[in-house]
Amino acid sequence: MLVLALFLTACNDDDPIIENEEELITTLGYTLTSGGETVTLLFQDFDGDGGEAPIITGGTLTANTNYVGSMQLLNESETPTEDITEEIAEEDDDHQFFFETDIPGLSFIYTDGDSAAQPVGLSSTLSTGNAGSGTITITLRHEPNKSAEGVSDGDITNAGGETDIEVTFPVDVQ
Amino acid sequence: MVRSQECDLTISGNVYDEASESPLSYVTIFIQETQEGTVTDDDGNFTFELVCPGEYHFIFSHIGCEGKKFHFHIDQDTTLNIPLSHSSTILGTVVVDGKKNNRGEQANSSVNRQNIEDNANQNISGILENETGVHLIKNGNGISKPVVHGLYGNRLSIFNNGILQSGQQWGNDHSPEIDPFSSDKITIIKGAAAIEYGGGNLGAVVLSEPKRIEEEPHLHGQVNYNFESNGLGHTLNTRLEKYASLFAWRLSGTLKKYGDKRAANYYLNNTGLEEANLSFQAEKSWDEDVFFEFYASTFNTTLGVLRGSHIGNLTDLEQALTNEVPFFTEDKFSYQIDAPKQVVSHHLIKGKLKFFLDESQIVDIVLAGQMNDRKEFDVRRGDRSDMPSLSLSQLTFNGDISYTKYFGEDWKLKVGNQNIITDNINNPETGILPLIPDYGSWKSGLFGTLAKTYNKTFFNAGLRYDYEDQRARTISNTLPREIIRYENKFHNISALLTIKSNITRTQSLAWNIGYAMRNPAINELYSSGLHQGVSGIEEGSIDLETEKAIKNTLEYKFFPNSDFTMNALLYYQRFKDYIYLKPQDEIRLTIRGAFPVFKYEQTDANIYGLDLSTQVTFSNTLYGLMKFSYIKGEDSRNDLPLIFIPPNNLFASLTYRVQKALSFSNNVKMEETEVEISNRLILQKGDILEEQDFVLPPATYNLLALKFSTNLILPSYKIRCFIKADNLFNTQYRDYLNRQRYFADDLGISVTLGMNIKF
Repeated sequence: MLVLALFLTACNDDDPIIENEEELITTLGYTLTSGGETVTLLFQDFDGDGGEAPIITGGTLTANTNYVGSMQLLNESETPTEDITEEIAEEDDDHQFFFETDIPGLSFIYTDGDSAAQPVGLSSTLSTGNAGSGTITITLRHEPNKSAEGVSDGDITNAGGETDIEVTFPVDVQ
Repeated sequence: MVRSQECDLTISGNVYDEASESPLSYVTIFIQETQEGTVTDDDGNFTFELVCPGEYHFIFSHIGCEGKKFHFHIDQDTTLNIPLSHSSTILGTVVVDGKKNNRGEQANSSVNRQNIEDNANQNISGILENETGVHLIKNGNGISKPVVHGLYGNRLSIFNNGILQSGQQWGNDHSPEIDPFSSDKITIIKGAAAIEYGGGNLGAVVLSEPKRIEEEPHLHGQVNYNFESNGLGHTLNTRLEKYASLFAWRLSGTLKKYGDKRAANYYLNNTGLEEANLSFQAEKSWDEDVFFEFYASTFNTTLGVLRGSHIGNLTDLEQALTNEVPFFTEDKFSYQIDAPKQVVSHHLIKGKLKFFLDESQIVDIVLAGQMNDRKEFDVRRGDRSDMPSLSLSQLTFNGDISYTKYFGEDWKLKVGNQNIITDNINNPETGILPLIPDYGSWKSGLFGTLAKTYNKTFFNAGLRYDYEDQRARTISNTLPREIIRYENKFHNISALLTIKSNITRTQSLAWNIGYAMRNPAINELYSSGLHQGVSGIEEGSIDLETEKAIKNTLEYKFFPNSDFTMNALLYYQRFKDYIYLKPQDEIRLTIRGAFPVFKYEQTDANIYGLDLSTQVTFSNTLYGLMKFSYIKGEDSRNDLPLIFIPPNNLFASLTYRVQKALSFSNNVKMEETEVEISNRLILQKGDILEEQDFVLPPATYNLLALKFSTNLILPSYKIRCFIKADNLFNTQYRDYLNRQRYFADDLGISVTLGMNIKF
């Protein structure tokens, strides 16, 4: 009887259940607004670890301008699209965004804070200097050490933690 | 009380070395009930006089031997001839049911029960670490699997009481789920294509075997307890057995609890482990014709994984490689096990019937079922750390039948059929696409071996055919996600030839050649996804073909007398279409950053080496052991070294035994007091190239160990106590085959106290 039961289970031919990849972030959008101008840097990778290349949309910013920056994270593999930004906000103590650039004169300031008044980065200010071009890299760290040296100023060197997002955008300042 | 108090019986006998058959002097013999002891003379002879009739337990012990205990009912003058096994390299002969069962006379070495008990602070792989030709692939210390002659994972078969261990054997970060306490002997067979032990293993088999329940009417058993300083770990095991009139039974249970381990200079946070195991064995014979064995075991463990070894992307990995101390390290100890962790359980049930049709014919029927459940947890966002990232359940059914016939002048024929049905599914609770797909497989093998002993030479030829049917139900890793089914059928042949000769009374030479085919495994064909075990994205390849290998071994043994044995094993294995995980030039960009990609590919490879071991008994108080392994692996098609081939190593130990037994009170004697000092030297691997790995192999390291042990003999108990220190000098080191080496040092000093009470 045990033998038969095992036999029948072994002949199990059911379709595997295609899991709901709830934790997946497919899209990062960094929206910069100043007066009437809006620029969105967009990174989209729909197949997760798969081999399809991600779609990266850079942008053009105006020189010597202050932009209000807002981060949005989505899981577009779900229908309807899931807004992951909220999850990050709920675990704000465990997350921090870092902004790095090689464009001279470009700088960032955090304008939000978690329960310990440490920065998160879902809201920020981006200030451009003179004209130039290069890249902006946005990194999201999970469980970083926010009190390590320089980390709350936006220096990623001693942050540690695990990288949940690391995206690089080509940007022109004109 | 007794009908006649004629205490005038004589017990005499001879003790000899099992291998060389030469007599053993200075063997101490104790009669447990009377506390009488004696010592064998130069000819190995001993005598007890004026013995009363009764039931007695005799304990035989000698330096460098595995001690033995026998029970005899004495009611007349008795002569006993006792062999003691002197060498850890058994000469391939095991006496089973009165006939020699030569294991095909293939090169092998084994670990006996006392070694298992003295090293039970480790898992089953750890116990094998000091055998020649064996190294361990680890992911931290609690998770390790054996590598024999460069073969591991899908290429190495592990048998638990005669049943091929099922489960996710392909994973480098998956330990075999077997309780070492359930075993009385662990044997490593290093010959080519071990025909009887399933096809597909290319020359390395590990057998974990409980022994037959002794025909002893009393309740016997033991309690083992270890405490280990590194990890503040407790191990407790109890074993009971009795040859009752209805049936003989044995019960064994083990509990283990460890907290964070410690490297030389810092804690390895989240590396605790918990384990709870139980095994039950029952045996029954009817006349001398039928023998039945029932065996059931359950193994359950939770294993913590070093938090700092679960990386994000390539940037994180490169940062981790430069850290002095792994990230997330805290200077505090805890028993708490959080994500990342593994929760695994393995259940086995087995029934075996042995029919002795007559003096020369035996039929064996074995039926077994196994259930393996593996959940791996990562640190996840949201509240998902309690949701496994990997959840696999595997159900396996084994059915074997074999027929053995002894005929003519020392001929032995064995034929058999072995079947394995496997059902593997991913439990839908992870929220992540599975790394390996759901699948079902059916494997059936037919084998025949013919052996003949002629004068001093032994011949063995074997042939095996295996059929495997795999049906995989995969989910595409491209969009849109869809289910793709694959069905593969494989035909594999294995062949084996052994010639072994006792060229003189003190030397033997054995040559063994084997051909084996191994079809690609499910993970090699269909893996897909981020695998922490390789620190990158792993992808299978559906075009893989069957691996074919030829292994040649030449083994020379020299055993002039009981004081000296030397064993040298040369091996050379050639592979065509060797399947391996190759790092790709591609760096894959995802929203999480860049990840290295590994893909299963094929090449041609050679693995060759030398295992050398020597045992010397310098005097009746001093005994030495030396083992050396050299191994080299090459990707011959691309002219590159093969990765994951172990480093060369040298092990040496010296044991001093206090010859005189010390008497305490009337009833307590302390004997077999020993001090052992040992050293393990692991040499740096010089052949791996920079482009083959994230970091070059670590430097040469040396570990010193010291151990004190003694046995207390009481009328009803034998208590063995030991205290040992591993990595005595708290050396800071990393090992090439420990994945944790990218992130942290290996273990620092550890002192283990052990107590074993036998009754």
